[in-house]
Amino acid sequence: MFVAFLAVVCLLFVSACSNGSGTSSTDNSTGSSTNNASKSYSGQTITVAITAQEPTKELKLFTKKTGIKVKWVSIGWDALQKKITAAATAHTHFADVTDVDWSRVGLYNQTKWFIPLNKYFDIKKLKKDVPQLGSFVVGGKLWGIPNDASIMATSINKRDFGKAGIKKTPKTISQYTKDLQKVKKSGVNQHPLGIPFTAAEGLSTYWYETTAAFGGHLFGKGYKPLFKSPSSAGYKAMKWMTDAYKSGLVPKGDINSKDVEISQSQMAQHRISSIFSDYATNKSSVYDVKGKSKVVGQVNYIPTPGKNGKHPNLGNPDGVGIPATSKHVGAAVKFIKWFTSTKVQADLSGLNGSGEQAVGFPMRLSSMKLLEENASNDNSKNNLNQLIKLYKNNTQPVFPNGPPPWYSQFSESVYTNIHSVAAGNETVDEAINKIVKVVNEQK
Amino acid sequence: MADNKLETTRQHNGIYKQSRRRKAKFLPYLLVAPLILFIAVLALYPTLLTFVKSFFIVSALDPTQKFAGLANYIAVLTDSGVIQSILNTFLYIIFGVVISLILALFFSFSLRNKFRGRGIILAIVILPWALPPITEGIIWNWIYNSQFGVLNSILNSLHIINHYHVWISGNQLVTIFFIELVQIWQMTPLSVVLILASLQSLPKELFSAAKVDGAGKWKTTWSITLPLIRPGIAIAVVESLIQSINIFDQVYVLNGNATVGSSVMIQTYQIAFENLNFGQGYALSFLTTIGTMIMSVVLLKVINRKVEY
Repeated sequence: MFVAFLAVVCLLFVSACSNGSGTSSTDNSTGSSTNNASKSYSGQTITVAITAQEPTKELKLFTKKTGIKVKWVSIGWDALQKKITAAATAHTHFADVTDVDWSRVGLYNQTKWFIPLNKYFDIKKLKKDVPQLGSFVVGGKLWGIPNDASIMATSINKRDFGKAGIKKTPKTISQYTKDLQKVKKSGVNQHPLGIPFTAAEGLSTYWYETTAAFGGHLFGKGYKPLFKSPSSAGYKAMKWMTDAYKSGLVPKGDINSKDVEISQSQMAQHRISSIFSDYATNKSSVYDVKGKSKVVGQVNYIPTPGKNGKHPNLGNPDGVGIPATSKHVGAAVKFIKWFTSTKVQADLSGLNGSGEQAVGFPMRLSSMKLLEENASNDNSKNNLNQLIKLYKNNTQPVFPNGPPPWYSQFSESVYTNIHSVAAGNETVDEAINKIVKVVNEQK
Repeated sequence: MADNKLETTRQHNGIYKQSRRRKAKFLPYLLVAPLILFIAVLALYPTLLTFVKSFFIVSALDPTQKFAGLANYIAVLTDSGVIQSILNTFLYIIFGVVISLILALFFSFSLRNKFRGRGIILAIVILPWALPPITEGIIWNWIYNSQFGVLNSILNSLHIINHYHVWISGNQLVTIFFIELVQIWQMTPLSVVLILASLQSLPKELFSAAKVDGAGKWKTTWSITLPLIRPGIAIAVVESLIQSINIFDQVYVLNGNATVGSSVMIQTYQIAFENLNFGQGYALSFLTTIGTMIMSVVLLKVINRKVEY
């Protein structure tokens, strides 16, 4: 009887498992047949899993217009990446639209966890309005559409710099370093520079931006590491960052601080005076927000100081794409087209005044211009104008040929080793050699 | 006729008794069947699968699974990051098990007798157990903060330190101690509850007899109480051991992926979910499972000896 009971339960379990996989494969096959753009998807419900908060009012307008209902799931970035990985490797449905981070595009190009969007979007046409689109194209395939412009820019507390007697905006990295030392020596701020030295992604990103400021790239053809020599930009950048920490330009506590803590708990709380590789949306979303910040109106972005003057700003945007297991590809495409359209991007950046800010900064130049035209005061207008110029003329992807599929291993090696140098556990030379070794093993 | 009737009744009774006996024999199995099924599906099957797959190259970047023999095991056991994390985990275990046992014994002995406010103190002691580890990591991140953390502030006020310190990420021992302290804060309440339950189940006559025989408090504790609560201590120690081996959230929040305090669980997560090398992830998971089982059995054997009243 006992054996019979177990057998029945086991059979039920196996049958439930096989039913699950059967459903999944059927849905996959129907997904590709619903790719016709002119088809109506009214009545379908799609799951959108991204980091942004749900813009309820805007979504109602979308549903009213298309008949497509949206089940919006807002998840933190790290957790979301794990869910994408787990669902993709288990070949299960997780969402119809989800995050495509610039750093994972190389991985998706190899694993095919997402559907290429080439047949739904005109890359050439879109690129004119979306300067960061190139970050989502690998091997000629478009894996996602950016949904938020994210660029790195240097921020300074102009009041602190002024108090320290600095009248000219630093244009080179050596001048910038001297100015930081001046701020420190003058007593305006004991530790003027913020660097997120905790062993996490934000530290890698900081190094990429600083490497570019020193006038170089990370990889050559075939992902050949270009940062091995002490005269290379990558080597100099790591030395500059870790020297800044050891010399006291950077607060000692930054060894355990993440990028978000540097901006929210330090820059906004007036504990530091500058972040070399800051997010270009922090001014509007953190520094100039009364109640959140002690430096309202004091922080400005400056053209990133480079080796010989102005240097390009690197972009690290998040995008949206369609997982290969999506059940409603056609409706998902319609949603992405709507979500990344000029008006909606501007509205979700605060244009419609609904208070729904699902987008930090729109990824379309046309949306930015709309925001600029409707800016409430001159300060906002100037700030937007400055960012549009940076975004339009000065943005570059971190990896011009696309991120490698083994980006995760590379980044882990970068942040753990830079962290170790700052903590005094290894030298720059040792750190660089370890990173090079990881790259060579992965190639 | 009467004899036949009696025989039939006897036969009926015999069958009935046999049937009842059979039912009684299978009932325990039937009752534990759901639990066995639960463990089989959620623990044994994944363990078996992990063991089998640990001999294959399973990577998201290369969907074709190939037999790799012991390659995954060799790769993880020769990886400097994994070796460092194993050594770190041993330190987490030593700090975690020893300190939490000492604290648990102290609190459970203190809370053993009834006094005014005991219930409130017990509730406060248990509170950290109810918090998710990630929340505790965030709270303690603020406490340890080198610029405005409470720990630095208190130690500075007491003139124990003369400037604010960075507690995490510098020295390996200091880093591991302060990270483990967060876990100790969380897991000690469970040990307190387990030991307190053992203490409260001890027969009072034994202590009265010891008193009559002239045994002092220390002698009674050492020779009677502690040996008798060994089963409770054993479970508490094994619980602490398992939690220390599985330390993840606190390390992740306080120290990121830094090598200096990295644990085996952090490495497993990194290999499997960040680097997408599932084969090596399976191998390291399986080694951790085996290691946990061996250490748990050894500790149980050492601590949990037969107790007789």
